[in-house]
Amino acid sequence: MRYITIALAKGRLAKQALEIFENIGIRCDEMKDEKTRKLIFTNEELKLRFFLAKPSDVPTYVEYGAADLGIVGKDTILEENRKLYEVYDLNVGKCNMCVCGPASAKEKLQHHELIRVASKYPNIAKDYFYNKKHQTVEIIKLNGSVELAPIVGLAEVIVDIVETGATLRENGLEVLEVVCPLSARMVVNQVSMKMENERIGKLISDVKNYLEQKNDKTEA
Amino acid sequence: MKKDLLHTPEGVRDIYNGECASKLVLQNRLHDVCTLYGYNDIQTPSFEFFDVFNKERGTVPSNEMFKFFDRYGNTLVLRPDMTPAIARTAAKYFEDNTLPIKLCYVGNTFVNVSKYYQGKLKENTNIGAELIGDDSIEADFEIISMVIDCMKNSGLKEFQVEIGNVMFFKGLLKEAGISGDEEEMLLGLIQEKNYFGVEELLDSLKIDAHISKVLLELPQLFGSVEVLEKAKSLTQNEECLAAIERLEDLYDLLKATGSDKYISFDLGALSNHAYYTGIIFHAYTFGTGEPVINGGRYDKLIGQFGCEKASIGFSITVDSLMAALSRQNIKIPVDIQGLLLVYPSTHARYTLSYANQLRRLDMPVAAIKEAADKDIAQYRKYAADSQLEYVVLMNEATVDNQNEVKVYASATDYTEEMTLADILGGKLS
Repeated sequence: MRYITIALAKGRLAKQALEIFENIGIRCDEMKDEKTRKLIFTNEELKLRFFLAKPSDVPTYVEYGAADLGIVGKDTILEENRKLYEVYDLNVGKCNMCVCGPASAKEKLQHHELIRVASKYPNIAKDYFYNKKHQTVEIIKLNGSVELAPIVGLAEVIVDIVETGATLRENGLEVLEVVCPLSARMVVNQVSMKMENERIGKLISDVKNYLEQKNDKTEA
Repeated sequence: MKKDLLHTPEGVRDIYNGECASKLVLQNRLHDVCTLYGYNDIQTPSFEFFDVFNKERGTVPSNEMFKFFDRYGNTLVLRPDMTPAIARTAAKYFEDNTLPIKLCYVGNTFVNVSKYYQGKLKENTNIGAELIGDDSIEADFEIISMVIDCMKNSGLKEFQVEIGNVMFFKGLLKEAGISGDEEEMLLGLIQEKNYFGVEELLDSLKIDAHISKVLLELPQLFGSVEVLEKAKSLTQNEECLAAIERLEDLYDLLKATGSDKYISFDLGALSNHAYYTGIIFHAYTFGTGEPVINGGRYDKLIGQFGCEKASIGFSITVDSLMAALSRQNIKIPVDIQGLLLVYPSTHARYTLSYANQLRRLDMPVAAIKEAADKDIAQYRKYAADSQLEYVVLMNEATVDNQNEVKVYASATDYTEEMTLADILGGKLS
C-alpha cells in the first residue's frame, strides 16, 4: 500500500486537526512531542504520513501531489489560488477577512478613490477591491503587524484576518467592511482523490461524521 | 567569464543525453499508437494569430499566452494548445470531406504560467490525435481506447482514465436558468469539489429545489460505474439522461474489450475549456499532481471556423508523463547499440574507413581520437552517455583486420576478444 501524505498548517490549526484525527482513530503521538526535530511522522499501521508546513505552503504541497491531503485555512486557499479540491469545511478556526482602518477611513471606501491598502494577503485584497468594489487601489504587501500601517500612515486601510478585534480596538482601528468568512478546510490533490478514492473518501467521511455528531451534541 | 549567458529563461530547459534519448523513445511509442489506428500526421505553425486561440476557442486565458506582433501590427501568439489549430486546418483543408478525418500531431505548446509556478514548464511537448467529422459513440470509444493504449505503451501499470460528460451539467444549468457570471462561479466550485461553496451559491440564487439538489450532488458524483446509476436516479431532465446514456453505452463498449478496469467516471469533472460539448476525460497516474492526458468532444469548435464538424480528440503532455514514469521508477527502454572507436592519429584513416563500412551495415559508430590522459574507464562512460553499447581501442588493431582486439561493453564489465573482421561479419549484433 502507498503512504497517504497529509500536510498540516503549522500552529493552532495543526493541533485542532490532530485532535480530530485522534477522535476518528488516527493517532500520531510522535507529532505531539513539541521538542522533536523530526519533519515527517508516520503511522505505519494505517500507512499515513504527516508533516507540518508553513500555512501558505500547504496548498502548494497538495497541488503538486507531494501531499495527498492538507488542512489549511480558507484565507490561505484564497490567497494562493491553487488547483485543488476543497472537499470539506471543518468549521474550526472561524474568523473573518476584513477591511479595517480608523473610523475616518470609512469615507474613503465610498467613492472609488485611489487609496493605499496594506495586507499580508495581496491577492485577496486585490480581488476584493478590483472585482467586487471596482475601486482601483495601491496594494502594499506586508509580512506582519499589519495594524501598524494605518497608524503610521503607510496605508489608509488594511485587509486582514479579524478574530476578536481586540488588537484593532487597542490601536484605535475598527472593522470597516467584511470581505468573507473564513475557517479551516480540508483540501485534496486532484489525482490522489481519484487514484486513492477509497481511502481518502473514507477519511473525509469519517471526519465529517465525527464533526457532525460533535455539533449535534453541543447543540442538544 | 560569461556565466550568466548559460541560463535558460524560467520555464524552459535543455533536454540532453539519456533523458533526451528516453523522451524520443517515449514519443515514438505514443506516436506508434496513433499510427496503428491509422491517424495521419499534421504539422501546424508554432505561432498563429491571437484570435485562433481566444475566448470560446481558447483554453488558456489571454494573459497566459506569449504574444508578439507581426510587421502589420497583428497580434500573434505562440500556440498554447494544439486543438484550435487543428480545428482551423480541418475547416480550411477538409471542408468538403464527408468521411471522418483522422489527424495526429507531435508539437510543443507554450503557456506563460503565472509567477506562482516558478520552475513549472512553460514549453511542453504534446502528442495527440483528433477524430474529426464523426459524432458516433464508436468515435468516443476509439479515442478512449487510444488513450488507454498510450498509457499502457508508455510502460505504466497503474493508471486511470476518468470520463465525464459536460452535457449533464449543461442540461441542469439550462433547466435552472443559470448563465453568465453565476455559471462561471458554479463551474469553478464544482470543479474544486467545494460542496459548501456550491451550497452557499445555490442558496443565494433561489433556484428550483429539485435541480439544486442535483447540482449539490455533482461534486460527489465520481467513482466507479455505479455513479451513473445514481446520477440517473437524480433527475428527469432529458439532456442529462441522454448524457448518462452516452456514458453507459461507452462503458459497455469498453467492457467488451476488457478495458473497463482502467475506467472511472466523474460527472463533476467539467472543463475550463469552453469548447467541450460532450464527453471529456483525463488520464491519471501516480507521481504527478495533474492529469497526463486530457481530451474530450468538441462538436461546435470547428463550426467557429466556418464549417460544422463534430469532433473528439486527446492530448498527452509528454513531459508530465516522463516525470511520472521516473517517479514511479519505470525505465523507458532506450535502444543501446553500436560502437565507439578510439583511435590514435596513426590509425586515423584506417579507422574512419572501417567506421564507414560498419555504418553501411546499419551499425551506429562514433569515432574519437585517443587523448593522452584518458583510460578505458573514461571511454566506457563516454560511450554509455552516448547510448553506444561497446568500445574498441583501435591501437590494438592491425590494418589487415585479422588480429584480435578487446571489445569492452560500455555499461558493464563485460569484455570479449574478437577481430575487426568478426565485427564486420556481424558478431556483435
